[in-house]
Amino acid sequence: MLSFRRIFLLIAAVTSAVSAKSSTGDSVLVVVEPSRQNDYSIFFNGLKEKGYELTFRAPKEEKPVIIQDDVPSFAHVILFASETKNFAKDITPQSLVELLSLKTNLIIALSTKQTPLSSLAAEFSIVLPPPGTPLVSYFPERSEPPSVIPIAPDSSSSILSKDIHPVWFSGVPMSLGNNPLLFPILRAPAESFAAEVDGGSADALVDSAEKGGEGLWAGSQLSVVTGFQALGGARVTWVGGVELFSDEYAKKEVSKSVESGNKKFASDIATWTFQETLVLRIDRTEHHLVNATSPKEHYTTGDEVEFAAYISKFNPKTGKWDPCACRKDIQLDFTMLDPHVRTALPPVPGAPGKYGTAFRVPDRHGVFKFVIDYKRKGWTHLHSSTTVPVVPPRHDGYPRFLSAAWPYYAGAISTSVAFLLFSALWLAGDVREMKKSKGKSE
Amino acid sequence: MTTAYPLPSNLSPATVANTASLLRIVALALISGAAIASRLFAVINFESIIHEFDPWFNYRATRVLASQGFYEFWNWFDPTAWYPLGRVVGGTVYPGLMATSGVIYNFLHALNLPVDIRNVCVLLAPGFSALTAWATYMFTKEMKDESAGLLAAAFIGIVPGYISRSVAGSYDNEAIAIFLLMFTFYCWIKALKQGSALFGTIAAIFYFYMVAAWGGYVFITNMIPLHALVLILMGRFSSRLYVGYSSWYAIGTLASMQVPFVGFQPVKTSEHMGALAVFGLLQIVAFGQLVRSHVSSAQFQKLLYASVVATGILGTAVFGLLTYKGWIAPWTGRFYSLWDTGYAKKYIPIIASVSEHQPTAWPSFFMDLQFLIFLFPAGVILCFRELRDEHIFVIIYAVMASYFAGVMVRLMLTLTPVVCVASAVALSTLLDTYIDPKEPDTGDDTKSESEATVVSASGTNGSSFSATPTPTPSKKIKKAAAAAAAPLPTSGIISDLVAATGGPTRRGEPIKTKGIFGMDSRLIVIMHTLAMLSFFVFHCTWVTSNAYSSPSVVLASTNQDGSQHIIDDFREAYYWLRQNTPEDAVVMSWWDYGYQIAGMADRPTLVDNNTWNNTHIATVGKAMSSTEENAYPILRKHDVDYVLVIFGGLIGYSGDDINKFLWMVRIAQGVWPDEIQEPNYFTPQGEYRIDDMASQTMKNSLMYKMSYYRFAELFGGNQAMDRVRQQQVPKVGPTLDYLDEAFTSENWIVRIYQVKKEDLLGRDLKSANAFGQGKKRKRTKPVPRRRAIV
Amino acid sequence: MAPKSSAPTQQTTAIQTLWKAYNEQTSDRLKFIDAFLFFLMLSGIVQFLYCILVTNFPFNAFLAGFSSTVGQFVLTASLRSQVNPENKNEFKEVSPERAFADFALGSIVLHFFVYNFLG
Repeated sequence: MLSFRRIFLLIAAVTSAVSAKSSTGDSVLVVVEPSRQNDYSIFFNGLKEKGYELTFRAPKEEKPVIIQDDVPSFAHVILFASETKNFAKDITPQSLVELLSLKTNLIIALSTKQTPLSSLAAEFSIVLPPPGTPLVSYFPERSEPPSVIPIAPDSSSSILSKDIHPVWFSGVPMSLGNNPLLFPILRAPAESFAAEVDGGSADALVDSAEKGGEGLWAGSQLSVVTGFQALGGARVTWVGGVELFSDEYAKKEVSKSVESGNKKFASDIATWTFQETLVLRIDRTEHHLVNATSPKEHYTTGDEVEFAAYISKFNPKTGKWDPCACRKDIQLDFTMLDPHVRTALPPVPGAPGKYGTAFRVPDRHGVFKFVIDYKRKGWTHLHSSTTVPVVPPRHDGYPRFLSAAWPYYAGAISTSVAFLLFSALWLAGDVREMKKSKGKSE
Repeated sequence: MTTAYPLPSNLSPATVANTASLLRIVALALISGAAIASRLFAVINFESIIHEFDPWFNYRATRVLASQGFYEFWNWFDPTAWYPLGRVVGGTVYPGLMATSGVIYNFLHALNLPVDIRNVCVLLAPGFSALTAWATYMFTKEMKDESAGLLAAAFIGIVPGYISRSVAGSYDNEAIAIFLLMFTFYCWIKALKQGSALFGTIAAIFYFYMVAAWGGYVFITNMIPLHALVLILMGRFSSRLYVGYSSWYAIGTLASMQVPFVGFQPVKTSEHMGALAVFGLLQIVAFGQLVRSHVSSAQFQKLLYASVVATGILGTAVFGLLTYKGWIAPWTGRFYSLWDTGYAKKYIPIIASVSEHQPTAWPSFFMDLQFLIFLFPAGVILCFRELRDEHIFVIIYAVMASYFAGVMVRLMLTLTPVVCVASAVALSTLLDTYIDPKEPDTGDDTKSESEATVVSASGTNGSSFSATPTPTPSKKIKKAAAAAAAPLPTSGIISDLVAATGGPTRRGEPIKTKGIFGMDSRLIVIMHTLAMLSFFVFHCTWVTSNAYSSPSVVLASTNQDGSQHIIDDFREAYYWLRQNTPEDAVVMSWWDYGYQIAGMADRPTLVDNNTWNNTHIATVGKAMSSTEENAYPILRKHDVDYVLVIFGGLIGYSGDDINKFLWMVRIAQGVWPDEIQEPNYFTPQGEYRIDDMASQTMKNSLMYKMSYYRFAELFGGNQAMDRVRQQQVPKVGPTLDYLDEAFTSENWIVRIYQVKKEDLLGRDLKSANAFGQGKKRKRTKPVPRRRAIV
Repeated sequence: MAPKSSAPTQQTTAIQTLWKAYNEQTSDRLKFIDAFLFFLMLSGIVQFLYCILVTNFPFNAFLAGFSSTVGQFVLTASLRSQVNPENKNEFKEVSPERAFADFALGSIVLHFFVYNFLG
């Protein structure tokens, strides 16, 4: 699977080098109500400038289908039809999950309405408040309605560019489940909470809050933009409200003469989701004995083994894969059922992209695996597993002729020598006796 | 001289002797031919294929040996067995069998005979059975005479108890081990008789071969010392015994330690200590004898006796201490189960779960030995009449082997040779009596002539047996003895026999008051004997062709019109695995099928028939008996890609996994008593059911689900019926969330499931599956991030 | 040493008689064998003590060395009893020449295994 994926990425890299900047392809399907298509022109144009080919499709249109003959038609899909209740029959929660398994990336916008997409969210461990309860906040004081909130992005996020201005947001908050693949990109402000201003029922909200514990739908543990990286590598971004991408918010000032960060933010999200940034891959791994170069078919217990992985990072500017010494916390496991050796796999100085370590093979025979399992939020998951049997020493691989044993050697040899001597003397004695007896008889 | 029938008188003794030996050779050759031929049923009825389970491993190992040489084989680490633990094959097998066929293979190739290694393996067992017949002949010859030897050879050649382990294709250690067993015993007897270090050395070499070939060598290790000990206790110590035993033990023990699997066991484990103790005792006794020869003290005998007793007590104490301190390994569990048949079931279910470790059922004695089982005690009794050293050996052997055969089915194999020997002695004594032409009232007879005739006559007899399968035996001894009222108790038969055979052994004595008169009584007895013998042949042929020649890889059933229908599900499934799965796909199955999967499908397996790691087997048992949710992490941890189960419910194949399931549960329970409990798999009434009444644990177990997945659909709405257990299967079958059905063979015997990968979105596969089928997910509660303050 | 268990006063005399009787009754050839046996026994004892007191680490080497002496010992003892004229009637089929041939063959086999096991 790994190699397959590598080839796939490689092909993608070659093709993308000439056109767009994504590592997985540049065709994008945008599912949006035709009437609202122009509301997001800044975002769409930004994508086009980068070289993406956008295809627009209304939610109920049959064509173009997103998956044909089990092959995804597009590399990325944007679902802005957040309020649509009925999609064409090829767009279902199931087909969207299938898209993910086919490594298509998704940007999905939600709304306060109950739609098929909100039921899909549950599959990602995203819990949405009851319908009609958007996020509201009365801070900071402003002229806009309370459900339109400026949110300052977390500057430490690796996905977003540094110092983005606060972002206008309006939509539903998301509460995140325990799924480790899920992580917030933009958190709700601490003062915000979900409220029934949008025609929702206060009772439902209270119910839901009570079920979940006090103060559930409030505060900064809620997320409004959430990233998700599936195990297959596909990326999904859930956005609480589609307006975040709109031209209106992009142009709207956060405070006096300070432009909002929406444009930049939206582009950053797309950059991440479409596999432009934080994309890593393991080019190859190698293992061999210390002081050797070629790999062995199997190792012997107690061998000193060197393992190295070559990791590159996708460079969206050139569309090429550059060797990357950028991660310091990669670990290597040498595993048979349980890790027998777990060691850091640091970058090798002077050899960009090479991560290497050496260790002693444990004193246990079996089928071992070199495992790299690197999962960091936002970054591509790296997984590599190389199977190699570890065997006990050969019968002649043990030390021989130990000094402690010399009395035994001496004993054995002296016995043999004595035996030979004895035999010789015995035979000689035989002869003598015969002579004697002969002499007597004569 | 009066004779019952005329004897040619113009033959010189030399002619008689030559003819007799020629006839013996011809007879032996024919016996060998018959022994080989009767083992070929399997090849003729099915094809030239390796049978059963263990032979598949031996076959696979032999291929490695043949292609890579002995040293590579010695160091062979098999990463595909016991995945992911791997198996150090070189150090955990008895390499004698593989080495033997490797040598034969290379020899044939050196002769430019391009024989396939598989055929060498398939035909090895029949080939060695011919050698066994010869070894038995030699052995029995030492007991009585050539005619008894020929009878014994004929018996061992076709007796089902031995054929069961040596049909063509049954490429197992036992195939060569019985030959080695008999030959080692023969050499031992020879060494003892002659006091020859040469035969002691040969015995040691064959003992070494035996050690290299079969774990049952322990039987020899204890038989010979026991024999020596009994001889000493009977006051029959002699320098011959000393020479024979010492040379055998000193060389044999050292040699046996060359086998990597045996290693230091001969000096470290209890099983081998007896031999060492007897060796020590012999040294002391010999020394005592030496001293006595120099000091003729009257008290000496007493002193000797006292010192022997003291040494014995001291030795036992030291031995106990060593065992206690752990320097000498205590008896192994397999060994305990020999003494207490309930032991294994209680403490080591893994041993008890093997059917060949079960106590023998009485009918199988008759099945395997037929009328020999009645003659056997008679033969043993006859041994008491002369009671030479070698007869004591047979008696001890008979007693020990009878006991062990009663305890474990598979030890029937060690009983068979002695039964053949003893029966042959009995039968040949009988025939000697009745063919002997002498009329009892004559005082003087030319001894040599009549004896020669006896020999040649029985020689002819033997040859006719094997040539046309006419051989064999008789219950009619009792008829001969006339009065024996009913054919019932063996003791009755014995006494009859003794009475009947009383006369002949004393043939040489001058005063003969007992004897056989006239032709009619002779003819009646001999005809009966021949009838019995031929009946035995038919029995053997029938048993061999029907019961013991099935390869169990290929099954045969009979259609309604009588034609044979071959059920080849196993190979179908194994070849499917071979051709449709990646080479490193790990297959999990119950351990019975491990060797076959490795041999035929060439895929790594989790456990196989070599049961050295209880925990690993218990892990598989646990996975099989847990719910899907609990089994899945186990499967993933062991990188399992496919799970294979055997299901006989559709065609009524009773050796399937559901019937073995309780063993899996028990073995798993032995390691995880908290998680797996046997009673949960029974109905509240304590029944083992698979229908609607089955317990919930049973229904949720992976094994149940895999066996009955979609089974009910096959019946198209009718009531589904499990033909093995004769129970109705629930109409709504089990569902599987963590596995996908990958393959089901024609008759549903083998079902293979693929283990799903983790869900893409990190959900558990059950809900992922529900989502995939479009079911609405229950609205999950958001996870509270704060704890409510109470 | 069975007589040892008898009364201590008798002990010395018993051994003395034994020694005397041995010297008188044993032929030179047998004495020669006995010397060899004695050497083997010493060698065995030394190895055994070394194993117990110092190290038994290369256990196979110990076993090989020790069993070579023990094996040689019993083979030689066998030879001794076979060539001993007193035992003539016990070994009807084994002439002294045959006995030596047996002995030589057994020893060669023994030493083959010893060296195989030593390393």
